[in-house]
Amino acid sequence: MAGIGFELRKLLRTQTYSGLLRAYAYAGIISSGPWVLSIIGIQVVGVLSLSVVVPDVLITRFQVTVTYLIACSLIATGALQLGFTRYLADQLFLGNERRVVPNLNGSLLVTMLGSGALALAAALLVFPEASNLYRALLVCGFVVLSCVWIVTIMLSGLKQYKAIVVIYALGYGVAVGGALALRPLGTEGLLLGFVGGQFVLLAAMLALVYRSYPADGFVAFDFAQRGAMYPSLLLIGLLYNVGVWADKLLFWYFPSTSEAIIGPLRASPIYDTPIFLAYLAIIPGMAVFLVRMETDFAEYYQRFYDAVRSGGSLGHIERMRDELVFTVRQGLFEIIKIQTLAVLVVFETAAVVLRWLGISDIYLPLLFVDVVAVGLQVLLLGVLNVLFYLDKRAVALEVTAIFAGCNLLFTAASLALGASWYGYGFALALLAAVVWGAWRLNGKLNALEYETFMLQ
Amino acid sequence: MKPTEDRGARLPESRGVKLPRAERADIGLLLEGTFPYVYGGVSSWVYQIIRAFPELTFAIAFLGSRAEDYGGLKYELPPNVVHLETHFLHEKQPPPVLHARDGDAQAFATIERAHRYFRTPHAHRADIAQVGELLGELSAGGRLSESDQLYSRRGWRFITESYRAFCSDPSFVDYFWTVRTMHAPIWRLTRIADTFIPVRAYHSVSTGYAGFLGTLLRRRSGRPLILSEHGIYTKERKIDLFQAQWIAEHHGAFGGEASDGSYFRQMWIRFFEALGQLCYDAADPIVALFEANRQRQIADGAAAERTRSIPNGIDVARYAPLRARRGQAVPPVLCLIGRVVPIKDIKTFIRAMRVVANRMPQAQGWIVGPEDEDAAYGAECRSLVQGLDLGGQVRFLGFRQMQDILHQVGVVVLSSISEALPLAVLEGFAAGVPAVCTDVGSCRELVYGAERADGAGRALGVAGRIVGIADPQALAAAALELLNDSAQWQAASAAAIRRVERFYTQQRMVAAYRDIYQAALAANGD
Repeated sequence: MAGIGFELRKLLRTQTYSGLLRAYAYAGIISSGPWVLSIIGIQVVGVLSLSVVVPDVLITRFQVTVTYLIACSLIATGALQLGFTRYLADQLFLGNERRVVPNLNGSLLVTMLGSGALALAAALLVFPEASNLYRALLVCGFVVLSCVWIVTIMLSGLKQYKAIVVIYALGYGVAVGGALALRPLGTEGLLLGFVGGQFVLLAAMLALVYRSYPADGFVAFDFAQRGAMYPSLLLIGLLYNVGVWADKLLFWYFPSTSEAIIGPLRASPIYDTPIFLAYLAIIPGMAVFLVRMETDFAEYYQRFYDAVRSGGSLGHIERMRDELVFTVRQGLFEIIKIQTLAVLVVFETAAVVLRWLGISDIYLPLLFVDVVAVGLQVLLLGVLNVLFYLDKRAVALEVTAIFAGCNLLFTAASLALGASWYGYGFALALLAAVVWGAWRLNGKLNALEYETFMLQ
Repeated sequence: MKPTEDRGARLPESRGVKLPRAERADIGLLLEGTFPYVYGGVSSWVYQIIRAFPELTFAIAFLGSRAEDYGGLKYELPPNVVHLETHFLHEKQPPPVLHARDGDAQAFATIERAHRYFRTPHAHRADIAQVGELLGELSAGGRLSESDQLYSRRGWRFITESYRAFCSDPSFVDYFWTVRTMHAPIWRLTRIADTFIPVRAYHSVSTGYAGFLGTLLRRRSGRPLILSEHGIYTKERKIDLFQAQWIAEHHGAFGGEASDGSYFRQMWIRFFEALGQLCYDAADPIVALFEANRQRQIADGAAAERTRSIPNGIDVARYAPLRARRGQAVPPVLCLIGRVVPIKDIKTFIRAMRVVANRMPQAQGWIVGPEDEDAAYGAECRSLVQGLDLGGQVRFLGFRQMQDILHQVGVVVLSSISEALPLAVLEGFAAGVPAVCTDVGSCRELVYGAERADGAGRALGVAGRIVGIADPQALAAAALELLNDSAQWQAASAAAIRRVERFYTQQRMVAAYRDIYQAALAANGD
């Protein structure tokens, strides 16, 4: 499978406007595909079940359960996602290709046992009134999703974006189809369809991995040995996912913004609907992000380190550094520009679109704040990605800690301040993290040669 | 085997033996790559000196490259060696704790001026004071620290500015690592100087790293530093550097910018020149083995009034009885005494043996010396013997006691491409054996006599032949001339005996060093 950067560059090299558009469209689909597919998938299942699954609360129960499954599995596997991906990347760099599959199996085994125990305990202890099928699906769904995240981030770490999108489309197709077919069974039917789709998704990704990498064993735990994974990356992965979900969790459990849905699960319709809609607006930003990262940035990053390693002159090294810094600035500015455009479009059209979708106008102010916030989240991803490329883990840790901490703090404050402040907590937390990250990144880029040579 | 042999008794490989430790000693010997872990002329000389002064106690700092390059002790330590510590400069050391910092501004200003002096000592005489300051700050509590060099922003600025201003080679990464590799032993030596036991005088047997250690110790303690140079360290380093393959060579690997490594070679040469200069500035007296080397030291920056030459001396009495054990006939044996290493150019001797054997089939060529230092070269020599069909004529005898073989030898051969004052020739002379030598080191003085005002050097006669290096034909012709003509051989033998007895006795050498040691020990600290 050719690298995504190669295909993008090929499209860009045609030098035509349509080529450019196609490159960005392609990047948009690839970078935000899984995300958008999962949001749309859940909404589609809900909309298409409206008249079949009665009462409506059964659909809401399904949607909330899936949302919790996704949120909790992302947080639970957050640490392993980043740490393990980096471990695999290092192994590939060292030429230990045959260790990929055994260690993936090892990490999946660990994930299954951990998430299985967690979900089983939850199903037994805190859902005493739910049906046995529901509880079984809760455990299965949690375990399968946890594994899905590990394999997904591993495949994106290995730059297999196209395969991820195709497989996600397949998985969510099965999920939607299955849920619709099993509609008569109510919440459990919908959930069974969803979990079935996730299972297909996981199986397909694993099939791809198993086919792509020869293995010298079935299962290995090298990744779990002392020093194999960077503790800072484990923490960054955890903090980032806590950060992404902190505001939602607070809204779900703040009495005046939430309602009980099933067992201990609560939801906040006034907060959730706008934010999930807003996430659809990050597609252009993600596209720009992917194009910049995978083409110019990756190229100058390579050239910079080639210049360092293979005996370039200091002048040449500095020129490459300047080019690298330029592509980073350019990339971040382009994300800002395109997301600003997206925000303006949403501001202009949101009222019409909401009415057309049959969603109330009261969501509008929150939607506006959320669109700005998720735009900042794309920027944060951009900054973090550059930091990972440059291996500035300490700074990435600062940034994610600020994100998680501020999101908890500011969201709590916004809840205390009242409805007109909702959404600002999340947005300000992202702003704080982005500003801090950009400032620190600037310092790191200015001292790049010094740190590369003197502090390696 | 008695431990009192000149070349020392061969000890079994004795790793892990407990080295002597003391609180203080009279003389601190600073030895780089020699006694007591390496065989050779310099080692034997050190051994001789230590045993000549049983009333003095010696502390030895041995500086080596890496521990695995050396076996155990090659010499039994005389009882007056009360302290021996070993340091391996090219062994990886755990680096200091990494953390970003600015670095000491004043220290880097000093470093900059000191380096100006190192680059062009003659143009920047005024900066020599800065060099003194630089050395003064090189200690545990000083302003200069390895961490500052390695991690500080000022360190980075200094190296990038130096690269821009001076480096003619495009490869920055090679420049960067050349500088780091070069300075790593300096920090090691600084730490060694921090902990070396107090002595009343330091005696270094080379410039280079050992000489630099002496410079540091002399500065810190105020005690005198004696420098005895057998070869000329800086010159030998240059030869190594010109042969070195490890110096970075990029051939247009990046963007058409090519490097031939010559700038880095120049850097290394300047580095060793600077170490040598610092040692010459700190040492008094500066002793050469023979006049030509003394002149070279002066040319390299040693103050003439502090230089003197003291030739090696041997215990002539021990070899004198061998003269009688040799029969009337000249033994048809050519003997090369030395380690089997490239610098001795054993191959030229083997090729010369082919010529000798053609004219004198009964001739024998002996190679006496250990082969373990460069096993690959030893194997090449043996295969050359096979290739030239000299299996019957050339023999590798390994390590031998000179008293056991010299009476069977007709001529001592020295085919080296570099030598100082070879003991093997002196031992041969003492046993009445003429020598055929290449024109290196003091060989011309040994064979023809030194140019002296009183004419006594030349008047003693010609004790053999001098030929050009790497010239097997000339070497063979000169040896055959002596072996085939009894009269010429007898004249050369007599001249050899007269010369060694007059100028190269151990008594003469020991007396000279007794004066030096007495003066140094009596000196008040400054």
